[in-house]
Amino acid sequence: MEALALVAPVQAAFESDAAAPRDEVALAARGDVRAFEALYRTHLPRVHSLVRRMRAGRDADELTQDVFVRVWQKLGTFRGDSSFTTWLHRLAVNVVIERFRTEQASRARLHDGEEIFNTLAGPALTRDVGLDFEAALEKLPDGAREIFVLHDVEGYKHHEIATLLEISAGTSKAQLHRARMMLRKHLT
Amino acid sequence: MTDPWIDRLSEYLDGELTPAERAALDTHLAGCRQCAMTLDELRAVAARAGALLPRAPESDLWPGIAQRIDAPPAVVPFSTRRRRFSFTMPQLVAAGLALMIMSGGGVWVLNHGGRATDMPKVAASPSAVLPISFADPHYDEAIADLQQTLQDGRSQLDPQTIRIIEANLAAIDQAIDQCRQALAADPANLYLHNHLAEARQRKLALLRRAAEMVNKG
Repeated sequence: MEALALVAPVQAAFESDAAAPRDEVALAARGDVRAFEALYRTHLPRVHSLVRRMRAGRDADELTQDVFVRVWQKLGTFRGDSSFTTWLHRLAVNVVIERFRTEQASRARLHDGEEIFNTLAGPALTRDVGLDFEAALEKLPDGAREIFVLHDVEGYKHHEIATLLEISAGTSKAQLHRARMMLRKHLT
Repeated sequence: MTDPWIDRLSEYLDGELTPAERAALDTHLAGCRQCAMTLDELRAVAARAGALLPRAPESDLWPGIAQRIDAPPAVVPFSTRRRRFSFTMPQLVAAGLALMIMSGGGVWVLNHGGRATDMPKVAASPSAVLPISFADPHYDEAIADLQQTLQDGRSQLDPQTIRIIEANLAAIDQAIDQCRQALAADPANLYLHNHLAEARQRKLALLRRAAEMVNKG
């Protein structure tokens, strides 16, 4: 499914695509493995972080590899209408969502209980606030976490998320609020 | 009993309420300490999320990808490959970034309290060690404008949000400095160039997000 082709994620900060020179993309599209490896090296941290956060770490390495294999396969279809980074991100989100759909036919996880998160202790004492926050993020229910990552980390809008996840915009808003309410306990 | 307005606070934060709903919630916020505090916390959560830094995986995933795309093995002498992997500069940089995030931001917030750009340098001044130019007038101009917007609008953000933004900016600035210093020693290192570009883009993204929050009021 290519639902992501219909949406336009908000990643203005990366639209300049300074990290992906066009000649590198063009070379990779023509089958230059070295150029493709360079693209991989450039984009690996962001793609892996996106996958890891959406999946709470589950199969993050394997899915990241899936993303880049898919990129290699589809690079010839990249026409430059958007930045390469935006295109790559859409593709990565699609791969993650497809995995979720494979695992669970229904979107029932959007309604799972908060008891999972309640197993977390209060704010950690360490000053490593970034990693504490990431750890808290992993404890969110799958549905709330997906939406939180797409909206607050990656900058997608609710109507885009609704299209991607095949849910209503209202559900997206409710799950985002739920995730934020859970995470606020881990800010201090 | 839970205040029914609490469930609307994220929509308020994201500017998704109708003007009438927003006005009603504004009135409510003026008299409801619980909702006002919750709104600040939600704002801080969103700011924290927007400032998360990308992290590379612990292991290199390329061999598995290369195998799946049927890429020919790189023709590199064994001794060169060994040397490359024993050097592991990207890992060192990644470790440095992680260490800075773990310690630098927190220490700076606790001990300094000033602007992100006031952070002490890790080592010598970059200008003293840089053999190559990193000047980018457009980027620098954009950063300066956004920092000015943030400075001008500080009073519109809650102190916790400001603290988080500044701590993250400080960590990113330190990462940029370390990348530059490492590049001074190894100017042709592609990994370091990528790390530097990523850190600079991250700073731009964070400042844009902060400026957006200021503009939203």
